[in-house]
Amino acid sequence: MWTERIRIIALLAVAIVSQAMGNVLLSQGMKLIAGETQLTWNNWIFIFLQAVQSPPILLGVGFYVIFFVLFAAALSRADLSFVLPAISSEVVINVAFADYFLNETVSSIRWIGAMLIAIGVGLVVRSSPRTFGMATGLDSMTEGGR
Amino acid sequence: MKTAIMIAIIVLADSAGDVLLTKGMRQVGEVSTLAPRELLAIARKAVRNHHFLASIGFMVMHFVGFLAVLSWADLSVVFPATMLVYVLGTLAAKFFLQETISMHRWAGTMLVCLGVGMVSLP
Repeated sequence: MWTERIRIIALLAVAIVSQAMGNVLLSQGMKLIAGETQLTWNNWIFIFLQAVQSPPILLGVGFYVIFFVLFAAALSRADLSFVLPAISSEVVINVAFADYFLNETVSSIRWIGAMLIAIGVGLVVRSSPRTFGMATGLDSMTEGGR
Repeated sequence: MKTAIMIAIIVLADSAGDVLLTKGMRQVGEVSTLAPRELLAIARKAVRNHHFLASIGFMVMHFVGFLAVLSWADLSVVFPATMLVYVLGTLAAKFFLQETISMHRWAGTMLVCLGVGMVSLP
C-alpha cells in the first residue's frame, strides 16, 4: 500500500513541477508578446501567430502536455479526490517561486494560505490513495499496487 | 452577474472534465508501465475513449472561459473563485466515481480550499 502511495506521490510531484515550469514559461512568453503588441481581442489572430512562434510559449505548452499525461496516468490508478487536492501544492511552489526567484513581495496572508494548503495536502496524502472499486479490484491493490 | 455566471461555467467545466478524465482513464486501464510500446497502446485506447475525448472538450471550454472572463474581470476576483473546484470535484468523486471520502480527506480538502482562497487575495 505504501509503495503504491509513494509511486503516485512521485508521479504527482513530477506533474506539479511540470505545471509550475509551464506557468513560468507561458507567463514569460506572454509578457514578451505584450511588450510588442497590445493584447486585445481585436488582434487575437496576430497574437496567436506570435505565440506559436515563441520558444518560451512552445516549451511551456510542452510542459503542460507532460503535466496532462502524468495527471491522466495518476487518475488511472488513484482517486480523483486524492489527486485533485494533492495537485494544489503547486500553489505553494508558486508562492515560494514568487518570493525567491521573482523577488515579488509575498504578503503574510499569502504565506498563511500557502501553509494551510501544505497542511491540507499533508492530510489528504495520509488517506488511502485509492478507494474506488475496492469491492471488485481488491486483488489489484494487494499485489504491491500492480 | 456576467462574471458570476462565467465563473460558474468555468468551475462546472473543470469539474466535469476531471470526472470524465478519471472515468475514461479507469476504462482505458491502469498506467503502470514505462515500456513505450505499452504506453502507446494505452494512448491509442485513450484517444478512442468517449469519456476521455469529452473531458478534453470540457478542459478546452474551461480554458477559453477562463481567458474570456479575464478580459473583463480581475484575476484577484476570478482565481479565488476557482477554489470551488476542490469542493465540487470531491463531491463529484463521491457521487459519480464512487470514491470514499474519509474525514481526513475532507478536512485536508477544506484546508486546501481555504488556503487557495487566501493565497489569491490581492
